[in-house]
This record gives sequence, C-alpha cells and structure tokens, in this order.
Amino acid sequence: MSAPDSVHGGVAGGVDVDLRGVRKAFQSLTVIEHLDLSIASGEFLAILGPSGCGKSTLLRMIARLLEPDAGSVTISPDDRFQTAYVFQDAHLLPWRNVLDNAALPLELMGVARDERHARARAALRETELTEAENRYPAELSGGMRMRVSLARALVTSPRLLLLDEPFAALDEMTRFRLDLRLRQLWASRGMTVIFVTHSISEAVFLANRAVVLARRLGRIKLDRPLNLPERNEDLRLDPRYGREVKTLFSAMEEE
Amino acid sequence: MLSRLKSIIPALIPFVVLTASVELAVRQGWVHSYLVPAPSQVLRAMIDSRDELFTAVASTSASALLGFALSTIGGIAVAVFLSSSRPIQRAFYPYAVFFQTVPIIAIAPLLVIWFGYGMRTVVASAFVVSIFPVIANTLTGILSTEPPLRDLFRLYGASTWTTLVKLRFPSALPQILTGLRVAAGLAVIGAIVGEFIGGQGLGSVVDVARTQQRVDKVFAAVLLASVLGLALFGLINLVSYFTLRRWHASEQ
Amino acid sequence: MLRNNNHAPLPNIGDNESVHRRHFLSLIPPAFLAACSKTPGKIRLALNWKPEPEFGGFYAARYTQHGLNVDILPGGAGTPTVQMIGAGSAEFGIVEADEIVVARARGNDVVALYAAFQHSPAALMVHASRKFADIGDIFKKGGTLAIQKGLPFARLLERQYGFDKVQVVPSPGGDISAFLRDPKFVQQVYMTSEYLTAKRQGTDAQVFPISTAGFDPYNTVMATSGDYLRKNPEIAKAMVAAVREGWRVYLDDPKATNQRMNQLNPSMSLDGFAETAEAQKPLIETDETRKNGLGYMTRERWLTLISQLEGLGDLPKVPAPEDCFTTLASTNS
Repeated sequence: MSAPDSVHGGVAGGVDVDLRGVRKAFQSLTVIEHLDLSIASGEFLAILGPSGCGKSTLLRMIARLLEPDAGSVTISPDDRFQTAYVFQDAHLLPWRNVLDNAALPLELMGVARDERHARARAALRETELTEAENRYPAELSGGMRMRVSLARALVTSPRLLLLDEPFAALDEMTRFRLDLRLRQLWASRGMTVIFVTHSISEAVFLANRAVVLARRLGRIKLDRPLNLPERNEDLRLDPRYGREVKTLFSAMEEE
Repeated sequence: MLSRLKSIIPALIPFVVLTASVELAVRQGWVHSYLVPAPSQVLRAMIDSRDELFTAVASTSASALLGFALSTIGGIAVAVFLSSSRPIQRAFYPYAVFFQTVPIIAIAPLLVIWFGYGMRTVVASAFVVSIFPVIANTLTGILSTEPPLRDLFRLYGASTWTTLVKLRFPSALPQILTGLRVAAGLAVIGAIVGEFIGGQGLGSVVDVARTQQRVDKVFAAVLLASVLGLALFGLINLVSYFTLRRWHASEQ
Repeated sequence: MLRNNNHAPLPNIGDNESVHRRHFLSLIPPAFLAACSKTPGKIRLALNWKPEPEFGGFYAARYTQHGLNVDILPGGAGTPTVQMIGAGSAEFGIVEADEIVVARARGNDVVALYAAFQHSPAALMVHASRKFADIGDIFKKGGTLAIQKGLPFARLLERQYGFDKVQVVPSPGGDISAFLRDPKFVQQVYMTSEYLTAKRQGTDAQVFPISTAGFDPYNTVMATSGDYLRKNPEIAKAMVAAVREGWRVYLDDPKATNQRMNQLNPSMSLDGFAETAEAQKPLIETDETRKNGLGYMTRERWLTLISQLEGLGDLPKVPAPEDCFTTLASTNS
C-alpha cells in the first residue's frame, strides 16, 4: 500500500470527538453522571483525576468498547480501525515474537503478511525497537514491552490514539524518554491523542489541554489549555511549567 | 545430559532403599511372599510372562491412548462450547462435573452393555474417567484471557472465532496442558478398570493373576501400568516443553 | 472353587458396585489388613461373599454355647480370605478347596477344617434353546463365554475342550443382564443361585455342573492357619462342633437364619433365600455326611484335587493331602 519507510502507512490527521450527556453506571454505582466534552481533531488531551473517578471508563467509551447508558459519543470522521488503544500494561501476546505482536492489528484487519511485517518494522523503528523483532515478550524489559505496545498501536496509523496510564509502571528515565517520543510522534502525525494519567507533571509535559475529573460522578472540575513551549528536558526549568503544575495540583487537591 | 541424570538421583534413592528392604524382608521370612512378593519375584514374573505382559501392555496402551486422545479433543470442544456464554455454562457445566463424580466402577457394567466386550468398552472407560480435567482446565484457561487483550481484539473487529483461535486458545494452552497431565494418568486407570469388566490388557492380567494367587504377577502388571501412566505423563511434559518453552514461565 | 463373583441373583448397580469395589481391596496386601485391631478373645470368621444361603449354617451356629465369641465378617467379590487367614487378620475363613491347595503350594499354611458343601455348585448356565447335549458342546458352537479364566476349573475346561471357538470375556459376577439379553451368552454361575434367578425371570436357562467335566472340589470350606490350629486346638474343635450343629439347624429349618441374613444382605429376596436354601441341600447333605457327619472330608477327594491342579502346572510345590485338611470333633449330627 505505501512505502515501508514512510511514517504514514495510511491516512494522516486526527478526529473530532464529541461527548454529549454521557452517563454510565455499573450496577448501582453511577460512575459518570452527565458528561459533556468536545475534543478537536489533532488535540493532545490529558485526563487527570483520582482513582475510581471514571477516567478509564471514559476512555473505553470513546474507544467504543463500552456503550454509554445515556447520551452520545460522536466521532468524526468515524472510519473503522482508526482507533488505537494502549493499556496500562503492555499486554503482548506472549507466544508471539515482537514483530508479530506489533503487526497484530493489521493481521486482524486482514492485511497480507509481507505488508504487515513491513509496516510493523516501520512502527518498531518509530519506537526504537528494531533489533528486538525476533525476541519474545518474556525476554524483554518492561520498558521494551511498552515500546512494542506503542508500536502495535501506531502500526495502523491511527487517527485516534487512546492511552490509559501506559507508562505508570516504568522507571523515570524510560518514562521520560517514552513521553518525549510520544509527543514527537503526535507532532509529526497530527492524530488526536487522549492520555489518561495520574501524574500531573506528565500531563503538563505531554498535553496541550488538560481535563481534571472530580472524585465522583465524572464531573469536570477543570478544563484548561496548556500552552507551553518546546517539550524537552529543560521544560521543567521553565517557570510556566511549574505554574501549570500548581494549577492542576490545586484543582485535584480540593475535595 | 549429565546434570539431567544427576537430578534423577534423589528420586531414585527412596526407590532403591524400599526395594532392597522389601527384598530382605521377604527373604528373611519377616513378610510372607504370598502377601508381598519380593522384588526379585516380581522381576522373575515379568520375565517369565513377558510375552503375555507385552501383549497386555500394548493393548492397555492403545486403549488408554485412544481414550486420552478422545477426551483431549472432546474435552477441549466441550470447553469451547461452554465458554461461549454464561447461560450455556450454567446449563451444561453441572453435567460435565458428572463425569468426574460418577464412580467408574458403577457405570463400567453399563459400558459393556453399550459397547460390548473388548477394546471399545476399555476406550470408553478411559474416556469417561479422563475427560473432566480436560474440560475444567480448558474452560478455566479460556475464560481467564486477560480482558485488555479481549478488548484489543474487539477494537480491530476480530470475530468470535478469530478471537478463540488466535487469542483465547493459545492463552489457555498452559492450563490445557495441566489438564492433560492429569487426564493422562486417569486414562490409564480408566482403561484398567474397563479391562476388569471388559477383558484384555493389563487389567485382565491383574484380575486373572489374582484368582490364581499369583501376587508376583499382580505386582508385575500393576508396576507396568504405573510405568505406562508415567510414560504418558512424560509425553505431555515433552509437548509442554516444546510448545511453551519460549514464552511461559513454567518452562523457563 | 468358584470365587466370590458368582452369586447375588438379583443384578442391580448397587450389587455390582460392592462386587467390583472388593476387587481392589483384594489387591492391598492382606498383611496391612492384619493391622486391624482385634478384641482379645474375639474370633473372626471371614466370609468370601455376602451373607447368603451358602453360609446358612455359619450364621445359624450358636457359638456362645460352645464358649466362642465369634464375629462373622461378610465379604464380597475378591475378598482375599485365604490371604487373610495367612496374615492373621481373621482366625477362620471360608475358602474353596482348590484355593487351599494353591495357597499351601505357595507357602501359606492354611488347613481345612470343615467342608460345608460336599459338592461344588459351580456350573455353566446356557440358554436351553441352543440344545447342548453336554458340557463339552458349549465350546463347539461359538457365542460368548463369561468365565473367570484364571480359576482352575476354567483352565481345566480350556485344556479339555479348547476355547478357540468361543469368545471368552470376564465373568460379570452375579449380574445376569447380559445373559438375559443375549441367547448365545454362557456364564459361570452357582446352580443354586443365579440359575434360579434366571429361571424366575422366565428365561430358558439351563445349567451344566462343572462336576460333569470331572472337577468337583469341596466348596465353602472353613479353614484356619496351621499356626492358629497348633496354638488353639480346643477353639478349632469347638468351632467345628458349633458349625456342624449350625448346619444341621439350617438344613432342618432355614427360615429364621434366612431372615437374619436377608437383613444383612437385602439384595436377595426372602423368596430367593428360601429357594436357594432348598436347592443347595443335596450338595451339602449326602450319604457320606449321613454316615460320617456334616462337613466331613476324605483324603481321596483331596488327592484327586491335588493331582488335577498339579496337572495344570499350578503348584510350585505339591502339598500332601493330609497337610491340607484335618478332622476334628467326630460328633455325628
């Protein structure tokens, strides 16, 4: 379909996501009561909130893995296979090697072997994991596994990339490197990214918009853009960084 | 290779000690040989009756293997069926449990009625006794697939069948092999019970030798039955090693 | 002679369950059974089948009147009474005469004291529709033969007539359902027991006693270990006397004893008990016993049995007939 070296295996760009009056309850517990949220194409949105506030539920509804009890989730454009999801743990298939793991989405979509291997290799290059392609997950470190998971998400050139605290289990250096890589990938591809995290500093570093959810009922406590300069190791020295962190921290603190 | 041999030595020591003690006890007359045969007598019986025992081992092996193969295929199929929905599980799982709880001794005569005398009853008996662990373990394995992986497959539009073949089944493989290990030994036991009722094989040798007060021959046949069970168990372990060795903790 | 799996006229699953469960018990070396606790002074009489008319006299006996504290242990299929005696887990046991010979040949010092049955009730049951003229005919005309082929009588039949024209399968114990279903089915039975059941169910059952093939050992023989006999000759004598008396009582009027046994073994109906008790009389009380007393044994009969077994190649050592049995308490009754 496209030259193996190109970053964009398919279409570029992102999607608009619109949630209107979304409600979700599990048995007697209402996790999200009434949520309105609009995300523009190409945005990098960070969603913050304490445990149990409904962040993951929200993400899964956007991925259409879950149906809301009321309200609507509108995505435009709404093509098949345009969404990718990265979980908290890498969740690779242990009986397949790295290359086949990265190629899995294409395999499920029916793409032929040679092509999907080529595209998987390209994705692995993006996540700096080429030498490992024949190894098995059991032989990899946590950080490397997460890179494979990321490559797997990118292999379809998704327009909508959803991540649920993907780097939480990694050490700080690896986390920083992957944050940086993710930011670069977003910049070059222009997809819509929604990143759920516990970490305020990570949210500020990565995103250009942050939403803070309340402890209960999925209420939005804070929704603000994050206009910060170039993302690199020196960002944390910039006073604006510290100010944004403080703002978000206060929003999360009261309750 | 040498280290493999070395690892067997601890297991051999109790065996050697026990064998030597029994041999001594019988020779000294502390234990009557008509109650507990000396190992040398058991060995003698094996040699003297080697043709008969060889035929019997071949027969029991064939029946046990066939019964085991049937319960592997049947058990996995039933488990896949049960895994398809909760209502189906609730409706049919209790009947699967039946296969574990019904005493084979009680239904073996029924098996003769349905399958006649001979190998078919023996295979049926081996099947009935060994299928449940396959069902139970396979079902557990299939149902234990990590939800995020299931989500991943859904995200990319995988059909139920594709998810079963590419995700749930490979994921369940370690658990399935555990079930097969248990089923292997049970298949041998089931075959022998079937042979008590239906004739032929090691079960028949044991039954006939018992009526002749040939305790040495009884022990010889029972020993061979255990060896058969061990061989089958070892076979499963070999399969497990080759299929799991690159990716599962149990073989690392 | 015939082991334990050939009684119990009424086939039902519960029956077969105990029949076959006992199979496995017999594989546990009875040496371990000997570890069972024993009340001092208590004498255990181990049966090789469930309480049925074949043990009538043993249940009718009034042991306490002979100063004996006896506990009767019912058995089932595969109960290893001859090994239990040898191991000491029972002081007395019921065995078949050929078991004693083979046991002695293997170093197990058991001695017969009392032969309840002068003649063996063992037989092959066939469907009369097959019109067999004699027992030899059975082996010439195909069909299925359910027999315990390890037993001496089976091997004698095999040697005499050959089994190549029949399909030999394991004996189903007291279960006659296969016989009822299949007109070409031949089964080892006690003619006093399963045969009567088959007749009651309306089939054309017919029996050929094994004795017609020339094999007729003493049956339902009470035995003890040589050791016990040497140490307790008075007890052995008293046992024989009590048992002889009991058989007299049972022969004259089995009803009360049958009721007792039926409570212990409800798998056979009271009518069945009565019918079998009657049918077995000619095997128990003969001219010989009228002359010499119930349970009487002769050297000649033992010698015949020993040479038959020797001919089969079953005996690593050939025991002397006088070692196999002993005559105690010459009370006539």
